[in-house]
Amino acid sequence: MTSTIKLTRSDRVFHIFIDAALALILALLIIPIWSTLTLSFQPNDFIGSALDGMILPPWKWSTAAYKALLGHRSFLSAAGNSFRIFFEGVITALFFTVPLAYALSIKTLPGRKLLYGIVLVPYLFNPGLVPNYLLVTKLSLTNTLAAVFLPGAVSVYNTLIMKSFFEELPEELKESARIDGASELTVLLKIILPLSKPILLTIGLYYGVHFWNDFFNAMLYINDAKLQPLPILLRNILLSSGMNEYVEANAFGEAPIYAIKAASVFLAAIPMLVAYPFIQRYFVKGTMLGSIKG
Amino acid sequence: MKRIVKAGMIVLFMLVVIASAFGQGTKKLVPIELWYGAAITEAGPPPDDWVFYKIAREQLGIDLKLMAEPSNENDQDVKILAAAAANQLPDIFMVRREPWQILIKQGLVAEVDDMYPLMPHRAEHWFNQDSRNYTTINGKSYGLAFPGSLQKNEGLVIRKDWLDKLGLKMPTTLDEFFDVCYAFTYNDPDGNGKNDTYGFGAFVEYFDQEMYLGRRFDPIMGAFGVAGTWNMTKHDFGLNVKKPEYYEALQFVKKMIDAKVIDPDWPSLKKDDFRAAWKQGKFGIMREQFAALAAAANYAPFDKNFPNGEWAALPPPKGPSGKSSVGVYDMNYRIYAVSTKAAKAGKKEAIARLLDYMATDEGYKLIGWGIEGVNYSIDANGNISDKGVPEDTKFSSPKGQTVTQLRNMVFYNSEMELISRYPYFKTANGRTMGPLLYLKTFQSFPWTNVTGSGTIKPHPNNADLKRYINQGVQEFVLGKRPLTKENFAAFVAQMDKLGAAEWEKTARREMEEAGYLQ
Repeated sequence: MTSTIKLTRSDRVFHIFIDAALALILALLIIPIWSTLTLSFQPNDFIGSALDGMILPPWKWSTAAYKALLGHRSFLSAAGNSFRIFFEGVITALFFTVPLAYALSIKTLPGRKLLYGIVLVPYLFNPGLVPNYLLVTKLSLTNTLAAVFLPGAVSVYNTLIMKSFFEELPEELKESARIDGASELTVLLKIILPLSKPILLTIGLYYGVHFWNDFFNAMLYINDAKLQPLPILLRNILLSSGMNEYVEANAFGEAPIYAIKAASVFLAAIPMLVAYPFIQRYFVKGTMLGSIKG
Repeated sequence: MKRIVKAGMIVLFMLVVIASAFGQGTKKLVPIELWYGAAITEAGPPPDDWVFYKIAREQLGIDLKLMAEPSNENDQDVKILAAAAANQLPDIFMVRREPWQILIKQGLVAEVDDMYPLMPHRAEHWFNQDSRNYTTINGKSYGLAFPGSLQKNEGLVIRKDWLDKLGLKMPTTLDEFFDVCYAFTYNDPDGNGKNDTYGFGAFVEYFDQEMYLGRRFDPIMGAFGVAGTWNMTKHDFGLNVKKPEYYEALQFVKKMIDAKVIDPDWPSLKKDDFRAAWKQGKFGIMREQFAALAAAANYAPFDKNFPNGEWAALPPPKGPSGKSSVGVYDMNYRIYAVSTKAAKAGKKEAIARLLDYMATDEGYKLIGWGIEGVNYSIDANGNISDKGVPEDTKFSSPKGQTVTQLRNMVFYNSEMELISRYPYFKTANGRTMGPLLYLKTFQSFPWTNVTGSGTIKPHPNNADLKRYINQGVQEFVLGKRPLTKENFAAFVAQMDKLGAAEWEKTARREMEEAGYLQ
């Protein structure tokens, strides 16, 4: 036998209000996505406003923009570079962030306060563009993909979140391992990391999204067109109709430039759109677990 | 004896061959790094096996490295200034005038006066006194100015088929202009029985030299002698918005808005929406760019919708004192600067060699269009065309575009370039159509020369001041603020308080020093 809670009139009004508000928020989120999606499928000879385009039936859609982009050497090479930056960046960032966060989480660490201070200084004071540029060039990183992710491989914000997560883990687990003779490295690798899947995925995603979207470092340090990632190409495409309106044809053949722009935005967002749902379930857990302690 | 001489000759010949081979092998290539403004940035760089690299190596003794600068000017500035701060500027690079001036002060770009005599082919079409003046500071030239984009390439156009249907003549004065707009709005020019057309269409398109109501309204402002942001005459230099004639111009625009003869969406339309609107036949007069109007791909949707529709170039209407102007134009150049580092390394001569080769007939075609038979062909009239060559390598194809990425370093808007880029075509009803039909007419109309105004330094409080002026002007014409002499005077007074007067004073000094005032 199932029992149902009887809703009062005011409850129902409240539910309607909440549902309407959520529907409105959903519409606000979906409309721009839908608009971009339909724009990316607009045929070259389409006549009508952006609103007309949004209600264009799918059988009138054209895939010319996607075909042009996916068949274009610049797009494929830029996507390949972005994936490399994403994976190499995330691995590098976690490689540096995890030990630092773990070290900071050990309360008995000698010089912990000093180390904490050293970590916080660059968080509060940015050295600026020129010192960063000099550093990257002196390290001969220009024209390498590492120039995009290495300068941001340790984020203080992410380190502090991870440190808080590590501090939340039961101290007894670490102690018992230490009593059994495990070194700190063993504790980290054998005890801490297997329990830290949520935070590793969460922070990994933070880093990944940052590296995937990073335009500035790539613009600054990568001169070789073959190494340019998607954000650079995307910006070039998005600026193209303004710059090249004298040009008789765009760089992607027959597809209209506005469809190319929309399709490129969509294609560039797909990896992140795909990644989020898989990682989402760890997301709240990862960030909230350490949120009580600062 | 003869045999000995013969053998000796052979040995000598072989020695010469061997020696020359060694000579070739040991000839040191001069490495030149060039940061260029790509013609179509998103198309990607020239391929590794591009024939120009080979020519640079084998004929010019240059190991050429190319890098396309970012497509956005601000990004270009950041990249160049960061490289400059690290003393890592490339040997030659395209640079905007403002950062270029900073680099001169820092001593990071070299004088190039001694390079001009080394480039006889360039002298023919690319350099003249005007271009040298553009890069001359305190009597020394610090950069090579190449011709910029096509000037005077926009104009007013009118639906001739609507005029014919209503039995109207092309308007020549502002009053006639208003009357035609009125008829286009209320007399059903497309004959569909609906009240769905407007006389004039526009959208807000700002540039530093075209503020206030923006570029699309300039043919109206030009009738009052106040087109563009600045008045660049010696006797009346200053911000046009402060001139009494500007008030009159605003009154005229307001009259059009009040009569509802301007498409009312103009304050919120984006460029793409505006273009979709004229392709849908929403209005009958507009200012448009020649290729955006009449290049085959751009014209196709309009042609499909209105096979008998026809846009005719319309001379800008004359105002109360007989003035008229399509808008403003600027003699613009692309500056390529040589770094001091490159000059100190003795690379100037090699850079001149490279640039001069690009200006030879062979170099011009190679850089501009690629290889004959692969990327372009010569048609029966001797014009360069993309017909008769493989589809995937023709210069207008995605792949073919990559070998023309440096074309802005050689193009000077010659007839050959224009015909190849903007070919004529037939419309649905068999008319001959093409952007060049409009370009030449637009260029023959009156324009306002504001050369130099692009180099006026922005006001320190530029964003706020611009917002105040542009928003204020819009509020007046939209009736959000009553357009009276008193209100307008108060608006100008407040503008001065925000820094307009001070900005004008500084700008006048800059323009006088640079000799730009007419």
